[in-house]
Amino acid sequence: MARGEFSRSLRAAIECLGTAPRPRREPTIRCAHRSFQPPTSRCISTTASRHAELIGETPEKFTAAPPIDFSKEDGKGKGGGKRLLRTLRVVPASPSYFSAKPTFTDDFINLSALLRKVATLPTIPASEAPKVAWKTIDQYRIMTNEPVKTQRYHKMLHILRRLNCIHPSLMPEEVVQAMQRYKKASQPGDFKPAPGVIDEWGRAKGVGRRKTSSAVAWLVEGEGEALINGKSLAQFFGRLHHRESAIWALKATQRLDKYNVFGLVSGGGPTGQAEALTLAVAKALLVHEPALKPALRRAGCVTRDPRKVERKKPGHVKARKMPTWVKR
Amino acid sequence: MPSPICLRSLSQLSLDRAANVSITSRTLLAPQTACFSTSAARYAAPPSKRKGMVAPPKRGERTLNVKKGRKAPSADTGKRPAPGDRKAMRKRIVLTNDNALEVSSLKDLDKATALSEKNEGQVRGLPEQVVDALRAVEAFKTTQGWSLFRRPATLMRKETIQLAKLLKEVEDPVDGQQKKTLRRVLSGDRMSGKSTLLLQGLAMAFLRDWVVINLPEAQDITNAHTDYAPLPSSQTQQYTQDTYTATLLSQILKANLKFLEATPVTTNPPLPLPLPAKPTLKHLAELGIANPEASWPVFVALWQELTQPGHPPIMLAIDGLSHIMRNSEYLSADVKPIHAHDLTLIRHFVDHLSGAKPLPNGGIVLAATSQSNAPTSPALDYCVQVAEAMQSHPDNIPHWNPYKNVDQRAMDVLKDLLVPGSGGAKGLDVIRVGGLSKQEARSIMEYYAESGMLRAKVDDGFVSEKWSLAGMGNIGELERVSVRLRI
Repeated sequence: MARGEFSRSLRAAIECLGTAPRPRREPTIRCAHRSFQPPTSRCISTTASRHAELIGETPEKFTAAPPIDFSKEDGKGKGGGKRLLRTLRVVPASPSYFSAKPTFTDDFINLSALLRKVATLPTIPASEAPKVAWKTIDQYRIMTNEPVKTQRYHKMLHILRRLNCIHPSLMPEEVVQAMQRYKKASQPGDFKPAPGVIDEWGRAKGVGRRKTSSAVAWLVEGEGEALINGKSLAQFFGRLHHRESAIWALKATQRLDKYNVFGLVSGGGPTGQAEALTLAVAKALLVHEPALKPALRRAGCVTRDPRKVERKKPGHVKARKMPTWVKR
Repeated sequence: MPSPICLRSLSQLSLDRAANVSITSRTLLAPQTACFSTSAARYAAPPSKRKGMVAPPKRGERTLNVKKGRKAPSADTGKRPAPGDRKAMRKRIVLTNDNALEVSSLKDLDKATALSEKNEGQVRGLPEQVVDALRAVEAFKTTQGWSLFRRPATLMRKETIQLAKLLKEVEDPVDGQQKKTLRRVLSGDRMSGKSTLLLQGLAMAFLRDWVVINLPEAQDITNAHTDYAPLPSSQTQQYTQDTYTATLLSQILKANLKFLEATPVTTNPPLPLPLPAKPTLKHLAELGIANPEASWPVFVALWQELTQPGHPPIMLAIDGLSHIMRNSEYLSADVKPIHAHDLTLIRHFVDHLSGAKPLPNGGIVLAATSQSNAPTSPALDYCVQVAEAMQSHPDNIPHWNPYKNVDQRAMDVLKDLLVPGSGGAKGLDVIRVGGLSKQEARSIMEYYAESGMLRAKVDDGFVSEKWSLAGMGNIGELERVSVRLRI
């Protein structure tokens, strides 16, 4: 935005050339040209372009100011053109244009001004404010193409968080627009999974995975019976620990005597199967009682454990083990 | 100034020598004549060094052995158990735990109330004589948790009451004419209490003064660990196991001593050895115990006597049924495996299980299957599955898998299981030992808690949690979950 502003202001400055013709200086133009060069040249770090590839975010559109046509303006001859060049002095719209980080400074100043303006509005506690995923420092650097320091960016985030805490019913449109620039493209809660359904037999289905096991569990109201692959819990899991983890979601929420479970598990070993069942049962329970989600999260039944066996690498004996070092 | 030794000698002269043990032991070492003399002690041989004590290593000597193959200075001073000790330790049955609390509310079973339906869901103790008798017939197993509690007690579960009803049916038949022979196979999951149910059946039979003959472990009969000999004068070759039969006779004698002592021999059995004058059944059994080579004729004669009219009903039981539904480990003279049904004892049991020979005075033939120590016996598995299916869902009966080898002799014995109809009509049926109900689980867990073996508040939530973890009330798992795996 700031840069767009700059180009706009540049154009405005050129526009006003006609009214107040001043001699034009080569260096200004060169300077402007330099700023139109590909973004890599302006970055301090040479890896920034790779970041851009990885993240897939394009820098802001940069419109160059139109070239100044001296022939049009100087109707009074060559001497007038020279005078024009001498009097031409482009004044950047941003006072921070000549600093290393003009865009960031502008952003910061704008946000501070905005906060000063809306500081008196009532706020809500930070924990109740709507959850927002702000851009990371890397994303912001790529967007602005400036070497922004982490600490300063965090200061800006501080202001943004404060703005986010304004009471939602009184949130000015201006603030919403301003915050939009710093939000990630996808926000938490954007993608809502389709809510589970309880079918005509009163069953709720849940799917869970762990290691290489996957489990499907159906939950019906009952009195605590469990059948896994057609066997009872004691027949299927020899270890007590595995039995407990298979129905941990029910046990942790004191629902063990209120539901019957039947599950199908495949793949992996006993531990993986038991913990896949934990997840499956928890998800099926959430269909019956969605309000249990915080309790289940505290019990560790909501998040899928992403750990898997690490692959073996060439040159290694195992995933990380190297062959024994032998002298010569 | 007198030396301290002299003073000590003086003190040893006190009259109450025996009062202090350490003093007496010291006086034994030093003879009394040397009271005022110290020379004996001074010239005595230096005390010999204890055996097995190793001198401390010399200075500079390496004491840490890291090289392979070099023996430590004292290789292994630990004492090995004597031959047979390890097995005795393994087979030892412990029925009491002095650290467990006495349960004040525990009532014993007695003759009058043993078969009462009011016992259902209650824990009942086993009286002293019954425990002795059960021990004599080896009904207690090492894997059962008797050693956790003060004294043996059992939960009278639904299946036990079912068994009690059978006993009652045998004792006073409704029609009034013929004494009934009921045959039951106990089946169920692992640790679901099949052997314990068998034990409860034996205990009830003991309480009701039945004659109890228990083959404690079918594996012991067929695994070729005891001697065997061909039985002369048998049309298909049969084999007797003399030592085992003699042991069995001694078990029978010990368990049913009161009845055998009181009953005289009425028939004139053809025995290779003479009986004393005015013989009782006890004398008959003792003859077989003393002469193992005559034990099989004695067993036959004893059975003949027991089935005389007017005698009490018989409880005939075996544990580990699948071991006798296949070839035994014995080999015949032409090195062919001997089928288990060709062993005389097994043949005797199997004839009664199949219904080929009835019990004239009535009785029950009980056979418990096992899930953990069970060789494959497709015929038995199939018959039990079909019988269970006919009880629970008669419209979905499993079919015989034609790719399995059928043991026709086993199939013939168990063919009554395949006959549709209710258990009473067909004689041979299955008692499915399932999980406990929650009330039963609660009552047994209260017993655990009162014994001090379960330190938790037994409430509905706790009971249903353990009930679920134990695989829907499997009693062995319930005990494991609540008593054994306590953290």
